[in-house]
Amino acid sequence: MATLGTFDSFTTARLGIYAAQHGLRVTGNNISNINTAGYTRQRVDQVSFKTGGNDRYASFMDRHIGSGALVRSINQIRDPYLDIRYRNTSSSTAYYDTKLSGLQEIAAILDEVGKGGKDGDDATKGDGLLYAQLQELADQLRAYGASPTSDNNTLIRSAAETLTALFQNYAGRLEQVRKDTEKDLVKNVEGANEILKNIRDLNKSIRDAELHGDKALELRDERNRQIDALSEYMHIKVEYTMEDVGAGIQVEKLTISLANDNPDPKVETDSSVLVDGLYATQLSIPKDKPSLNPYIIPSADDLANNPDLEKLKGFLFLQEVDPANLPDGYDAADVVTIDWPDADGNPQQITVVGTNDPAAEGILAQENDNYTIQLGKLLDVKGEEWINTKSTWTEVQGGTAGVNAVYSYAVTTGGNWNDGELLEIAGKTFTVGQGEFTQDVANNADKLAAFIAKNLSNSDYVISSNGPKIVFTAKKPGAIGGKGPADAPDLTLNNPGKVTLGAQVNDTPGVDSQPPANPQPPEGTVTDPVTGTEVTTAYVEVEGKWFQVTMEKEHTREVVLDDNDLYGSLQAQRETLTEEGEFSSAADQAIDENALTKRGIPYYQKSFDLLARQLAQHFNELNQGYMLNHKGNYVDKDGKEFELAGKPVSKYDGLTAEQKQALIDDGCVLKDENGNNILDDDGNPIPDLERWLDAKGAVKMGGPLFTNSNAGNDTDGITASNIDISKGWSSGDWMVVPKFEVLFPDDKPADGEEGEGGLNHTTQDININHMITLIDKGLVYDPKDMDPDAIGKNLFTGSFNDMFSNMMGVQAKDSKATNIALNNDYTTLVALDSSREGVSGVDLNDEAMNMMQYQKAMNAAMRLMTAIDEALDRLINNTGMAGR
Amino acid sequence: MIRATTGGVLKSYRANLMNSFISMNKSRDTMLSQRNFNSYAEDPAAAAKAFRLRKSRMTVDSQHSICSDTLKKYQTAYSCLQSMDEVLDTKNPSMNTIKEAVLKWLDDPKGDAREQLSKVLDQMSEILVQNMNQKYGDNFIFAGADGHNVPFEIKDNKLYYRGVSVDAAIPNVMGTKEADGSVTPLEVDPNTNLATTGGKFYVKMDTSALVSKDDFDAAIAADPAAVRNYLMTDGTAGAEKHQAFDSKGNVVDPNTYTGDIYYLDMTKAETMTVEEYDAQKLEAEKLEYLKNEKYYVDIGLGFQEDKNGNLIPSSGFNAALNGINFFGCGLDEDGDPKNIYSIVQRLTQLSDSVPEGGDCGGIYDEFKRLVGKLETASSNFKTEFTNMAASTTKLENNEKLLEDNFYNLQEQYAALEDVDMVDSITSFIWAQYCYNAALKVGNNVLSESLMDYLR
Repeated sequence: MATLGTFDSFTTARLGIYAAQHGLRVTGNNISNINTAGYTRQRVDQVSFKTGGNDRYASFMDRHIGSGALVRSINQIRDPYLDIRYRNTSSSTAYYDTKLSGLQEIAAILDEVGKGGKDGDDATKGDGLLYAQLQELADQLRAYGASPTSDNNTLIRSAAETLTALFQNYAGRLEQVRKDTEKDLVKNVEGANEILKNIRDLNKSIRDAELHGDKALELRDERNRQIDALSEYMHIKVEYTMEDVGAGIQVEKLTISLANDNPDPKVETDSSVLVDGLYATQLSIPKDKPSLNPYIIPSADDLANNPDLEKLKGFLFLQEVDPANLPDGYDAADVVTIDWPDADGNPQQITVVGTNDPAAEGILAQENDNYTIQLGKLLDVKGEEWINTKSTWTEVQGGTAGVNAVYSYAVTTGGNWNDGELLEIAGKTFTVGQGEFTQDVANNADKLAAFIAKNLSNSDYVISSNGPKIVFTAKKPGAIGGKGPADAPDLTLNNPGKVTLGAQVNDTPGVDSQPPANPQPPEGTVTDPVTGTEVTTAYVEVEGKWFQVTMEKEHTREVVLDDNDLYGSLQAQRETLTEEGEFSSAADQAIDENALTKRGIPYYQKSFDLLARQLAQHFNELNQGYMLNHKGNYVDKDGKEFELAGKPVSKYDGLTAEQKQALIDDGCVLKDENGNNILDDDGNPIPDLERWLDAKGAVKMGGPLFTNSNAGNDTDGITASNIDISKGWSSGDWMVVPKFEVLFPDDKPADGEEGEGGLNHTTQDININHMITLIDKGLVYDPKDMDPDAIGKNLFTGSFNDMFSNMMGVQAKDSKATNIALNNDYTTLVALDSSREGVSGVDLNDEAMNMMQYQKAMNAAMRLMTAIDEALDRLINNTGMAGR
Repeated sequence: MIRATTGGVLKSYRANLMNSFISMNKSRDTMLSQRNFNSYAEDPAAAAKAFRLRKSRMTVDSQHSICSDTLKKYQTAYSCLQSMDEVLDTKNPSMNTIKEAVLKWLDDPKGDAREQLSKVLDQMSEILVQNMNQKYGDNFIFAGADGHNVPFEIKDNKLYYRGVSVDAAIPNVMGTKEADGSVTPLEVDPNTNLATTGGKFYVKMDTSALVSKDDFDAAIAADPAAVRNYLMTDGTAGAEKHQAFDSKGNVVDPNTYTGDIYYLDMTKAETMTVEEYDAQKLEAEKLEYLKNEKYYVDIGLGFQEDKNGNLIPSSGFNAALNGINFFGCGLDEDGDPKNIYSIVQRLTQLSDSVPEGGDCGGIYDEFKRLVGKLETASSNFKTEFTNMAASTTKLENNEKLLEDNFYNLQEQYAALEDVDMVDSITSFIWAQYCYNAALKVGNNVLSESLMDYLR
């Protein structure tokens, strides 16, 4: 506005004051929130104000001057790329931090560096506990070997008791760590769920605020803080889009999904949506393992092994059925045979069908020992489900276009009409103006068409004139009374003489359009039984073309996450709880190709169990046998040698070929629990000397030293948690057998000595030597000895001590590598956080400068107002005073 | 960083301050624990090596203890054997020796002191047995692999070692001499004079019952019925075939043997039942086993078994001191005992068998012959004594070696585990200095800004 209003400059000053005041308030807000977690610094978005438009009277002398400053908005300063990098690194840091935490818990049990030692003996300080106790057992065996007294034999038992107690203690503590981690995982899932809810609720609040024109900056800060926290639990992808809410208003929509971390390209669940605007999911760890995931396509390998699996795709549950008596709605084609271990974990095959009915009988359930996480449905704050609707238009061929009908009436005569005369058309009367109707027929037709179009409402036809004709053109194609319009209006002119109409002429008959014959899919709505997605199909003709219109209404649904879909603290805890390293089965490897190199608590538990089992098994084998003479031949209770195939049976030389055959001929062969012969690689039965010796009445000596409970002598299923010394040993029924060779069968143990295999004093303690050398013997630790399904090869070869040291070493190397990775990530995270602070953080220097700047601006604006006031005062009160 | 903000600087400072504090804490832990690493993860390679060294030290410690005990046992055994040596023939001012006694016996043709000398011999032999039954701690020293039972026992003037007669020997019977020197006894039936399986008798070796072929032929010619008095392989009347022997009583094949053939006159031959033979043979086998019995202990020589589970002898130390090896056992080729006690008892019996004031006659020669056997046994004793003394030296050396090993291993893992205190303290002081500096910087970070200069 070039022309200066008298008081406009006051407005300019006032706007300046307002702008400076906003600046000061924002500065104050920034300073106040300098210590508020997650606060993003704000700034005033200030623009110069200039009124638009041209003056009524332009002049080349005019100059356009702005009218001051306006505060357009208050903004935040954030760098989205830094947020992405921070959250990526945050997931990685949390993963390694949680993993290291688990490893440290394990190390607190297994790591014996600096532990142990005898009181007051510096030399033994740091010898370890279990590590040293294994040697203590060897020491006691050596001592007994050197001095085979009853006291020394008892000391072996004491050493073994302490050893088993340590095994039990370590195993118990490992199990406790596992349980604690399990609880922690559940708690962390709850924590993640709380965050997801918070983000959803914040989304709603921000959306509501935006609808009212508020940017809701503080809410965004809180939401960013929550997203940061969520990124520690799992690796996420955050997207912002604009959502049209109608009336030309768009609001921001936040979508958070998993970040596509699964290395298996076939898996799609690793991109599952966690938060979609007003909707959010919740995580859960179902007690029962979720059945076949309906959203995962069986792998090519799976299908190659069992093509029938395709039949189960899309079902939520598996239902065990009797093929001869199938449930309603199923036939033989629906039945699939799958591998499904029984309650004891033994492999078996069962017959199933797929079902989506959670109440169906025979639904299979397995313990969710893999801690598989399931995502719930996307729900809003009221618990209503998310729905997504989208439509597609596709032109189709095979339809016929319709034809619009055209009618006409010809105006046949004409004459001049005077002003005010009445004209009646189709029962309605109109007043004619001066000269409207003349003798020009075409003019009259035009006028009549205009009258009819204006006064006879008819939505079906467009009414026009064409020369002497009044033309009725149907608005839509189709036969009259069919798909087209209703019949044309019966037009009657009731003022004979001056204007007359001809009969209705059907110029172009209307023709109905025809859709494509037998369209696929047919028109109608189909609902997917699994996903609930509704697909409505219709065929529509538009401007002579046929289109298939598909409207898809997608519903929210549960998602069962694949093993490697997550990456963050939750995944680290899952791996700590489940990974078995070399003890992994083929099934484990199928869901995680790196399963053999990932080691969590189960790996250490099974390694420990394997160590205990090896120890027990080898000592038990050494401490059980049959009486021998001094030549090493089996003898009866009187010392008489047994003969097999005409020769003595030697323990150390083994059986001759004739003796083996004689055993087979006698039916003394190894049998399984069902009484069937066990065959060797060549398919031949395996001779069982023990069976023969038992039948012959050979004298059994000794007994198992280690069992699965002190209450009995059962050696089945010995683990680190149950290993104990046998009841027989602890009660003195037998002791450590020094040797099985008995020179004088009628010899009795010396006075004060105990046990049948105790201290027979007639020959050297060969068996003790075996036990002493066993302690340092290199044994093969095969994972299959612990778990028949294990696919890992040789876990370790070495002595008991070496095996335990190896366990410590594996843990240590994993810890060290994890620690290095954590340090790297943490350093990066701190750097990124500092960078974010650099962009978004409040700086006191900055704010001090702003404060001074806005203060000065405010002062200046106020001064301007004073100056203008003085100028106007001069103008109003003092102008024209000259000459007085 | 384009822009350094108060919050950013503070966050960065906090992280660095924490690092500084962690470093100082770690240095403090290292200094206080005096260990280079306090967990396996801090230095897995060093920790694994340290544990291996500790295991070796524990083993050496145990082996040292056993070696030490074994050495003490050997030293005690040495004293016992020295006493026995003195009793046997070394001059001993406090008592007579066996050697002196037998020499006096031989130098006493009148027999004035025989009775007294006989008693002395009896007493001396009992002293020897008592020495052999000495204990070290709870274990009998010379009981071989046994330690709990008195090894030597005298019953009816006969000496038994762990229940087996020290004079047990496989009876010398006629039979086929095998390539390895053993004899497969020839089973006979003394009722039919047939050499037959199931005859249930063996013929005691006695060459005086052998008859040369010429004498056999002469005897048959003189009395055709005598043909059945000689051991036959075929007793068909009129077509008898006889078992051939060589001059030493070994069964031979007359078709292939080129030397002189002899036949066994069953009227002169003495037999024993197979059961008697087996019983004596078993006793002899037991004695042989006890003689060779070994008792290995782990004194750090490797102690390892072969693939068949048998201890490799050189990897252990045979700590068995078998009394019969020192004392002697079994019979020699003349059928005389090798055991000192048995020989002395035989000498005592011979001495006692001489009538008082009577002439020794053939007894003197027999006595003298047995004294020669005693000297052989005594010589064997000294040889075994010397061997044992050598083993004692070996144990002494081994004990020292184990001690050296023990300290050496200790030093090795100490070098791995123990901190260099100078280095540790320096590191701690430096870490503390850095931490203090970080604190100092923090004070400045927090206090200075433009706000402080506004008026």
